Amino acid sequence: MKRLVQALRNVERHYLLLLAPLLVFVVAIAIYPLLFSVSISFFKYRLTDPTQTKTFLGLANYITAFQDEQVRKALANTLVFVFGTVTTELTVGLGLALLLSAETRLMQFIRSWLLMPMAIPPLVVGLVWRSLYNVDFGVIPYYLKLLGFDLGRGPLGESATAMAAVILVDLWEWSPLLMVIFLAGLKSLPSEPYEAARVDGANRWQRFIHITLPLLQPVFLVGLLLRTMQSFKVFDIIYATTAGGPGTTTTVLNYHIYTVGMTFFNMGYAAALANILLVVVAILSILYVMVLEQRQL
Amino acid sequence: MKTSRLERIFLNIAIILAIAFFMMPLFWLLTTAFKFGREAFAIPPKWIFFDFTLRNFQEVIQNTKVFRYLTNSIIITTGATVFSLLLGVPAGYAIARSKSGLINTASYFFLLLLMIPPIAMLIPFYLIMRDLHLLGTYAAVIILDTVFDASFVVWMMRSYFQDVPQEMEEAALVDGASHLDAFLKIALPLSLPGIVASALYCIIFSWNDFLFALMLTSPKTKTIPLGILASFSSVEISWGIMAVMSIFAIIPAVIISLFLNRYFVQGLTMGAAKG
Repeated sequence: MKRLVQALRNVERHYLLLLAPLLVFVVAIAIYPLLFSVSISFFKYRLTDPTQTKTFLGLANYITAFQDEQVRKALANTLVFVFGTVTTELTVGLGLALLLSAETRLMQFIRSWLLMPMAIPPLVVGLVWRSLYNVDFGVIPYYLKLLGFDLGRGPLGESATAMAAVILVDLWEWSPLLMVIFLAGLKSLPSEPYEAARVDGANRWQRFIHITLPLLQPVFLVGLLLRTMQSFKVFDIIYATTAGGPGTTTTVLNYHIYTVGMTFFNMGYAAALANILLVVVAILSILYVMVLEQRQL
Repeated sequence: MKTSRLERIFLNIAIILAIAFFMMPLFWLLTTAFKFGREAFAIPPKWIFFDFTLRNFQEVIQNTKVFRYLTNSIIITTGATVFSLLLGVPAGYAIARSKSGLINTASYFFLLLLMIPPIAMLIPFYLIMRDLHLLGTYAAVIILDTVFDASFVVWMMRSYFQDVPQEMEEAALVDGASHLDAFLKIALPLSLPGIVASALYCIIFSWNDFLFALMLTSPKTKTIPLGILASFSSVEISWGIMAVMSIFAIIPAVIISLFLNRYFVQGLTMGAAKG
């Protein structure tokens, strides 16, 4: 208590005044809904119910959530999606950064074009890929057929390929972000180890494995956590390409919550699911903050 | 760093493949906008030689509310960007300069906020806006966008102000200037590139937003991504019209990545990697 009072006394009033407007705004707009979300998650509350009654259920929504087969499926899909996107995007992002790191006019030009996917509305990205994947006139099934792969209902229509197809869309959109992050990392590498390695006669590949990769490890970690958190939030791409299908093959947790809340208007249950997702992402976020702290930037 | 000829050929092929992969969907979008319906569906696909037409553009301008959607997008994006900068830049400055532990901890509060899955806030926010009769207004979307945009701006501007030398501000304070003056007259002009980078991020985020607009707008306040979807489901699926509207929707992305990419990259690496 004494320490808190001391800490409060140390707050410079002029800086608090600059911070306060945003702090008040955010507490009012963000924290209140979050508390509201916690409270309605203990109720049975359907918007479609004509009397709009809220019945207190205690923890029942949460217990149902952990037993719900659909939630388990959605959670499993989420993990597949997150793992699939993050690993491939890190690899492709690093590859792009290494390929295009030269500071020539041409490379700068190419890199600026590669920034475009992540600046485009994700919904548009999803729609464009949906038409590329279209089974009747899409470009991708056509070329796949030429190569001898006949996907009956198209890449998005077959449950065996739908998830991979959606991951590819996400990869297209977000690997350039990792390229940018890795490029910044590559630029800040010290030159001494490379000079020493050259004296020792190490080849390109050895230098990459034994110097570049270990030195990039912190950048790797930042990219990994950042994209993991973002990947958990995927919505637009799924909405535009598969709408969670076929069946529930690509229904990730985020999308499932949307369906429960906004299609079935089962608000109490949707809030409980959202809170579970929130806890998962909060744990990841705290890890991310700890990593950033350790880097002392 | 000598590369053999074989290696160089291999690397060039890899670069060409990468460009092809990342540019193909954009190229497809652009050409579809100028194709007749039957040619958009042609098998084998016509990549380069097709009958050029402006009919899709004509149809979009005449038969859809594309300018309405664009106006709505511009209103929401401008509103969210302006509010986020007004609230976020001073807060970022305060966090960067303050020596108080409490104020410094506040920065992590904003970082955590940035990481909240939007859906977790959206359901209660929807209910609250419904009770306040604000569903379908610009304000509802702008407010929610601002929460996320401003949190990013704080984080970004904090690292930016930390890199701005403090000596001039300190000298001004010694000369009797107020802290507000030091911020407005000295720190702010020096940090203009950071503000531009923050603004670009806000613009992209709000312009591209789909989920918030999906749940909070009415037919009158629909933004461009929703407009694309609306034109999509009515009557028949016309990929030409979809392509034309998408081209309108990606204009900011094109401008920012091709002409303002220096600021854009700075925003990405500062906000994401540097922290």
